[in-house]
Amino acid sequence: MDEGAVTALVDDLVGDRAGGWDLAGRLPADVIGRLGAAGALCPDVAAEFGGLGWPSLATGELTAFVGSRCSSLRSLMTSQGIAAWTIRRFGSRAQRAEHLPALTSGLLAAVAFSEPGAGSDLAAMTTTIACDGDEVVVSGHKVWVTGAEYAGELLVFGRHGEGAAAALVPAGAAGVRIERVPDPLGCRAAGHAGVRLDRVRLPRGRMLAAAGVPLDWLVTSALTHGRLSVAWGCVGILRACLAAATRHATVREQFGRPLAEHQLVGRHLAELLVAEQAATHVCAHASRCWDEGRPEQVPAAVLAKHLAASGAARGAAAAVQVLGSAGAGDGHPVARAYRDAKLMEIIEGSSEISQLLLARRAVAVWA
Amino acid sequence: MAERRAGEVRATLVAFLEPHLRTEITPDLDLFASGGMSSLFALELVVHLERSFGVAVEGPDLQLANFRTVDAMTALVLRLGEAAGG
Repeated sequence: MDEGAVTALVDDLVGDRAGGWDLAGRLPADVIGRLGAAGALCPDVAAEFGGLGWPSLATGELTAFVGSRCSSLRSLMTSQGIAAWTIRRFGSRAQRAEHLPALTSGLLAAVAFSEPGAGSDLAAMTTTIACDGDEVVVSGHKVWVTGAEYAGELLVFGRHGEGAAAALVPAGAAGVRIERVPDPLGCRAAGHAGVRLDRVRLPRGRMLAAAGVPLDWLVTSALTHGRLSVAWGCVGILRACLAAATRHATVREQFGRPLAEHQLVGRHLAELLVAEQAATHVCAHASRCWDEGRPEQVPAAVLAKHLAASGAARGAAAAVQVLGSAGAGDGHPVARAYRDAKLMEIIEGSSEISQLLLARRAVAVWA
Repeated sequence: MAERRAGEVRATLVAFLEPHLRTEITPDLDLFASGGMSSLFALELVVHLERSFGVAVEGPDLQLANFRTVDAMTALVLRLGEAAGG
């Protein structure tokens, strides 16, 4: 499928139903299933593995389109993309050949990083992935796993000897318990859940081949893909806010003229446009770095995520302000954007962690 | 021939590493012992190596031992280049 066909499929499947999904806290199974079967949840997977083989730039534009309609659905794309990329980078040839075609034909994967005692400080994670003969044993407790409620497989990160490993755990394996997060602030339909892993035994082939790699390599590689995806998702949030705010401001009249002609409202619209354009350009830059295999992709993804997420949080707040009571009902696109964007400042490296990484980058390049 | 290639690889790696780590890089220096190697930069190094030498470092090759020194990375690049028929 080309980009136009996938975009049309998303348009058809999502339509204007995302508000209802948000209120219900649930995405319809057939929407996830049809996008997954089309390979659209991880369109950058290569054609040799059954993927659409899109470059990062096209993947990003689709991510922004999905994000403009429904951040919960976009969150599933982010997870699926991270899972596929991590298998691609850290799996053996045989593991790539076995698992990537599943992810491009309907199997949904969730990615489990965070733990009760390991959020920003992922080095504190205590989940273990240990070898026992021909098997691996996975034990631990993961929290806020996006999409875990819907996923068929969980890509679980944990300690392995002196380093780290990632294991593909079937959600239905013995010893796995999925505990839905009851009422998340944002991305309410994204199926966030805690995952308890009680000595889950799997064939050894379910542990990615790079086992023993330093934890921060594994995490940084996965998060670089995830940051780029979240950043493009935030571009989508900004586009949805820009559309809603400008439409409202041209139709709604107060004091005898449209809101857009009131200068203080106009300033909100201007800043929304600036935020959307700035986020689009830094995301496109990071995606080009990725597509060209340039090392700068790594810090560029952090910068894009930080700029796009903070821009989306400010922009969504401004959009709610412009719409006033018209946008204040739960499930409204700008009300959702307001809640969803706040979470984007937290996941895949909080704004503060992003700033720490960027400060170090600034010193390395400019001091 | 192999020795000339190894010399080129070493020189390319040193030219990438020295401005980032701000120290003189000898081929056997333990790059991860100094504390100058951030998690972001370690990944940049992997990507740089792939792009500069046309190899893919994947799966079991992603081990600290393969990146600890310029010599280790040079050996990795030569091995992957041979495997790819290059």
